[in-house]
Amino acid sequence: MSGPTAPNRREPHGDGPRARARILARVTRAAALRDRLPHPGRLDTPVPPDPVATFVNRFTSQGGEVATPDPDRAPRDWLTTFLGELGAGIATIALGADVPPGLQPRLPGAAPAHADAGISMAWGAVAETGSLILPSTGTRAVQLLPPLHVVWIPADRVFARLEDALLEMVPTLPGSVGLHSGPSKSADIGQTVVTGVHGPGRCIAVVH
Amino acid sequence: MKVALFVTCLADHYFADAAVDAVRLLRHLGCEVTFPDAQTCCGQPAYNAGMSREAARMAHHTIDTFADCEAVVLPSGSCATMVKKFYPRIAADDRAVQAAALADKTFELGEFIVRRLGVTRLGDGLAGRRVAVHQGCHALRELRLEREPAVLLEGAGAEVVPWEAQDECCGFGGLFSVKMSAVSAAMADRKLDTLPRVDWVVSGDGGCMLHLDGRSGARGCGVEFVHLATALWRGVDGHPD
Amino acid sequence: MATRISDYAARSRDAIRDQPQVRTAVTGATVAFDEKRRRAYGEVDADAWRRWAEAVKNHLLTHLDDYLAEAEARLEANGAQVHWARDADEAREIVLGLASRLSVRSVVKGKSMLTEEVELNPALERAGIEVIETDLGEYILQLLDEPPSHIVGPAIHKKLEQVQELFADRLGTDPGGDPDELARAARGVLRDAFINADMGITGGNFLVAETGTVALIENEGNIRLTTSLPRVHVALVGIEKLLPRMSDLAGFLQLTTRAATGQPIGCFVSLVQGPAAHPGDDGPEEVHVVLVDNGRTDVLLHENAWEALRCVRCGACLNICPVYRQTGGHAYGWVYSGPIGSVLDPGLLGLHEAMPLPFASSLCGACFDACPVRIPIPELLLAWREEAQQEGLTPWKERTALSALAAAATRPPLYRLAGKLGTRVGATRAARSLPMLRDWSRDRDPPRPSPRTFRDLWRKGIK
Repeated sequence: MSGPTAPNRREPHGDGPRARARILARVTRAAALRDRLPHPGRLDTPVPPDPVATFVNRFTSQGGEVATPDPDRAPRDWLTTFLGELGAGIATIALGADVPPGLQPRLPGAAPAHADAGISMAWGAVAETGSLILPSTGTRAVQLLPPLHVVWIPADRVFARLEDALLEMVPTLPGSVGLHSGPSKSADIGQTVVTGVHGPGRCIAVVH
Repeated sequence: MKVALFVTCLADHYFADAAVDAVRLLRHLGCEVTFPDAQTCCGQPAYNAGMSREAARMAHHTIDTFADCEAVVLPSGSCATMVKKFYPRIAADDRAVQAAALADKTFELGEFIVRRLGVTRLGDGLAGRRVAVHQGCHALRELRLEREPAVLLEGAGAEVVPWEAQDECCGFGGLFSVKMSAVSAAMADRKLDTLPRVDWVVSGDGGCMLHLDGRSGARGCGVEFVHLATALWRGVDGHPD
Repeated sequence: MATRISDYAARSRDAIRDQPQVRTAVTGATVAFDEKRRRAYGEVDADAWRRWAEAVKNHLLTHLDDYLAEAEARLEANGAQVHWARDADEAREIVLGLASRLSVRSVVKGKSMLTEEVELNPALERAGIEVIETDLGEYILQLLDEPPSHIVGPAIHKKLEQVQELFADRLGTDPGGDPDELARAARGVLRDAFINADMGITGGNFLVAETGTVALIENEGNIRLTTSLPRVHVALVGIEKLLPRMSDLAGFLQLTTRAATGQPIGCFVSLVQGPAAHPGDDGPEEVHVVLVDNGRTDVLLHENAWEALRCVRCGACLNICPVYRQTGGHAYGWVYSGPIGSVLDPGLLGLHEAMPLPFASSLCGACFDACPVRIPIPELLLAWREEAQQEGLTPWKERTALSALAAAATRPPLYRLAGKLGTRVGATRAARSLPMLRDWSRDRDPPRPSPRTFRDLWRKGIK
């Protein structure tokens, strides 16, 4: 497919061993030119005293929204009402694979590409950066395609620092993890910020 | 205190009056000023062009010329940086000690007055003057003279007006202004276009002034550039015109 | 590699004269970026963060052999496939080979300077594959058939009116459409592209050796989609982009974004370990990571330039650079522009090919203050200049003049005479027509020498 001069060629890995050996040999040769310098250890970033408050503050300052469920109602009922009252015409939803029944709003389902809202479970959140941590096991299309993304996040899963959260994830990392720190944004047209460019234009974290 | 003036090429030939004002100012502040006759170029043009061997020859000459002086003062931030910061990098190994010693006792004019003499009040000869300060990049980012010129000008009664592009390079850069003249001139335009309404633009670097003044003249901006030494002397002297 | 670097001086002059709107747009955008960067640095102990990041990258670069092997092993354990490309040809062949084997007809791309560097898009298109850039800025440039002009904001040289005109013509939007409307139109086109694409191609901001994690930072969500919806994801990663450990990534994600756009972190960060392997994961069936050298080991082998490999491509040095601000990136003639380009391009391409970029700087030093990994760009520029002089890559007249200055400067009487003559002759009309001074005096009024030198005044006595 790469034209008439390509019969030579190797499988995708084709020249792998030779290229690999050559690159590594040159890297090793370069390492011999200078001292091997030590790792400086971990970067101490400040620990926010109240992670949940800091998360809410950072996440909202990045354009995200935060909602707190009514403790007197069942979570799925509260969310059903909440979505209705948003005035965003939410008629259908797409559910992440790991959203337990008790957190699923009572609304008709739709494919992620057509749903009005996606409902996800966060693995955790980060106060320091105002980020939701969304593992790929929760269905990526749900996290990305609908114009509104609603994310459940248990209050006791809000980590103070990004490093704390990432280190805890290391033993069980899935194929992919998304850190979502607000709605999709761009300033590529005339340096004006617009939201909802590719991903959700609204992202609501429900801390419960 | 005995102070040797390292006048620098541009001040010798293009800002001779400013160098004279520097002498008067230093004398006024109680210094005895000498002028070692063997002084030549600090070597910065060669150094910036990537000819450090040639620059080192000039550095060695300068090191010898000022070896016995108590303090060396330059009316130029970039030449002062050459001596203070770059001589130790390029001096031959057998001159390293002398290069470091010269670096320690060398000062840009404003730096000398504020940091070495501890003087910030010069009189009120500049009362009523609105000035903007153009800091040469070496003075600003290598010598970290972030406040010194403004402190002295205010100490002489002037009002120092903030300038949007104050910390930006004017585009001189020596050889750069010759090799990349159009970009260099555009950089000057950015400075001139953001300049607030002032009586003078004051700078401690002759190179920047030649370039900015030349560009201002070519565009008919009518801005008056005054060397820091002259501005401060007028501040003391009380005859700002 | 085809570059247009050598005529930088002429093209920068043309750009400033003929495209004043580029200068206005670029200056406006970069000044705004830099203000945000300053504010974001001010919120943390930026000095300590930068020193830490410098040390991590120095450790990485002096142990790169170990970490490359570790990253490869981890990625393979995660189910990803690793490829090694010595140069641009190999990088393209690897991707084309994959596309062929996997019957790929359509590709969506996330913004990647490395794919620009290895000229991947034209190769894919020649093979009959549809390639769609999905970053909004890159999409605009793809429609215009222009390369990116900035590492982070590829289309910052374009004003709103130009995008309005382009989208009206190509997407049928209202000629006066506001950015929201224009973005919506692009979203519609690109959404279909994501859903129909067989392969997503991205770069990689970092590759964590400890976990085999390709980390990608963005704001739009297009990279998250590119790495999630198509059945194949290919990430091209420069070998210098590694980080030792996950804990390092936590610092680098934050520092890079603060340096780039002033945000605490990008709106979306993708951490890709491998293909979908768990129930509920609707991600790609295959993930391929192509480790690309393409000149990087040359830079690593260079005595001074290796420090430039710490670069995290944040663009902070471009934003603060008064030279870059006058022209934008296109004048530089290759993928990496601005201060970092001027020290990296000579290493990646060879100094001869990258001339005169080491001289495209006034050495003002602002870039070093902004750089999150403290690359000593002014010192590296001087090192390249030194090499250029030694290899005779500069005009001989310049070298001769500076040698003569050095010779005179060690002979005070000769220097005094030459200085006087030079100044007086330099002020004449004839001198202004000398090739070296012609441009200077075309752009500026000539300097006026003092009537008497200071030396003469001193001899006369100063009152």
